[in-house]
Amino acid sequence: MRDVAFGQYYPANSVLHKLDPRVKLIFVILFVVGVFLTKSLLSYLPVVVFLAIAIATSKIPFSKVLKSIKGIFFIIIFTGIMNVFFNKSGNTLWSWRFLVITDEGLLLASKLALKLLLLVSGTSLLTFTTTPMSITDGMENLLSPLKLIKVPVHDIAITMSIALRFIPILIEEIDKIIMAQKARGANFDTGNLIKRIKALLPVLIPLFVSAFRRADDLAAAMDARCYNATPHRTKLKELKLHIRDFIALFLAALLITFVVRIDSMIWIIFGI
Amino acid sequence: MDTIIQIKDASVNYQSDDQIVRGVSAINLDIHRGEFVAILGRNGSGKSTLAKLLNASLVPDTGEVIVDGMLTSNEDHSFNIRSKVGLVFQNPDNQMVATIIEDDLAFGPENLGIERDEIRKRVDWVLSVVGMTEHRLRTTQKLSGGQKQRVAIAAVLAMSPEVLILDEATAMLDPRGRAEVMDTARKLNKEKKMTVILITHYMDETVDVDRIVVLNNGSIVANDTPLNVFKETAIIKSAGLEFPHATEVALKLNEAGLNVPIVLTDIELAEAVCQL
Repeated sequence: MRDVAFGQYYPANSVLHKLDPRVKLIFVILFVVGVFLTKSLLSYLPVVVFLAIAIATSKIPFSKVLKSIKGIFFIIIFTGIMNVFFNKSGNTLWSWRFLVITDEGLLLASKLALKLLLLVSGTSLLTFTTTPMSITDGMENLLSPLKLIKVPVHDIAITMSIALRFIPILIEEIDKIIMAQKARGANFDTGNLIKRIKALLPVLIPLFVSAFRRADDLAAAMDARCYNATPHRTKLKELKLHIRDFIALFLAALLITFVVRIDSMIWIIFGI
Repeated sequence: MDTIIQIKDASVNYQSDDQIVRGVSAINLDIHRGEFVAILGRNGSGKSTLAKLLNASLVPDTGEVIVDGMLTSNEDHSFNIRSKVGLVFQNPDNQMVATIIEDDLAFGPENLGIERDEIRKRVDWVLSVVGMTEHRLRTTQKLSGGQKQRVAIAAVLAMSPEVLILDEATAMLDPRGRAEVMDTARKLNKEKKMTVILITHYMDETVDVDRIVVLNNGSIVANDTPLNVFKETAIIKSAGLEFPHATEVALKLNEAGLNVPIVLTDIELAEAVCQL
């Protein structure tokens, strides 16, 4: 349970770490859009190249990035199998009773797997290189126009950053509760699926109780530190755009153009 | 002496299941500037209620609490009072807002709307006070209990309070973490002349404080120097408290018929025994 890598900041001194969080958020959004805009296998090329460069410059150990993918491994396998065996269009390569493998099915499955891998590793690169506090700072800043229509942007932002902060704490708590239940003879590892889910109920209830207690404590501590004392809250860290941020935005725009246009561009380059 | 907190005849009752539970009743207590006061009492004696009264999280039903000339019942003052009276709680994990230590320390001053340069100065200062400067960019998750609680103290100090209340702040720590936190509190009191109120049930932490206040069933049953308080063996026992280790030994020796004076520390005990 403890090696959940997704969503955990990895301190290092790299350009990606130094980028303005607002720029990183926009970059990630454009990256996700880019991933979804891909059509031909070739159009994946710019996305893969971009991600590879980003990972290389981030100074995050590659094993960490792999760990973040580990969590969705099952989903990739599952969707892969579904696509390979149940897509019946295209030329049949192999068949046995009701199972058919077609070339289109294979292509679709590999594209989907690639999409999922790119999405998860790309977005986890954001949380690896950005502290939850500055992600929420960036989000608050980007959403600040909504303050005009009385959306409590700051409260939403702080709620998010607290949620992110408590993920590892609650995971540790789950470990402890499971251990305590096991010590009293609870069985989590055998029986059918329904039995196992039922066995988790005695874990969830103490977890909720403790989460509420923590929330209560935290509220008291935030009150003691004058939360909401003034509507003119200041910030220790100022968000400032540097040249590198503009370059990153330009690169993000370039990425989208490449993804959308690569087929016709290749055709222009090699066709003439 | 200059009084910073004044509690006058304050009572608090809690309502729970049609039953009125007494929090504290008719308490009178003055805290002086620069003092190191320990508040002792078993669970349910009213210690935490008292702590909440001191930073205006709780207003007494009757009587009044005055912090640096401000009445806690006046809501206009409550943020002012909270920035003057910093409260550190029991569980270090549950009082940190940010993931990075530095960001967490900035939370209080940010809430007060302090200028950016001044926040930077304060954060750097409190980091050095609690000896965590080298860890300032680390995540709070990887620290030891004692380090976490020192960060929690620093977070409160960043609001530049005049009074520091440690509400059972050592209860969840191992002996080493307890020592770290107590050393920090003593240093702040000695070097920065900060008023410290220590709420605890570890008697050994209280032997060198200026004054001990003992609570039992919501009332103050003793309010004196450590030596004088621990001489009142009947009061200590009825309040459900234990004695500091050395005092306990001295009392046992007395029971055994040896004439040993009441002492507080192991060194004093050793000297007293050598005199026999």
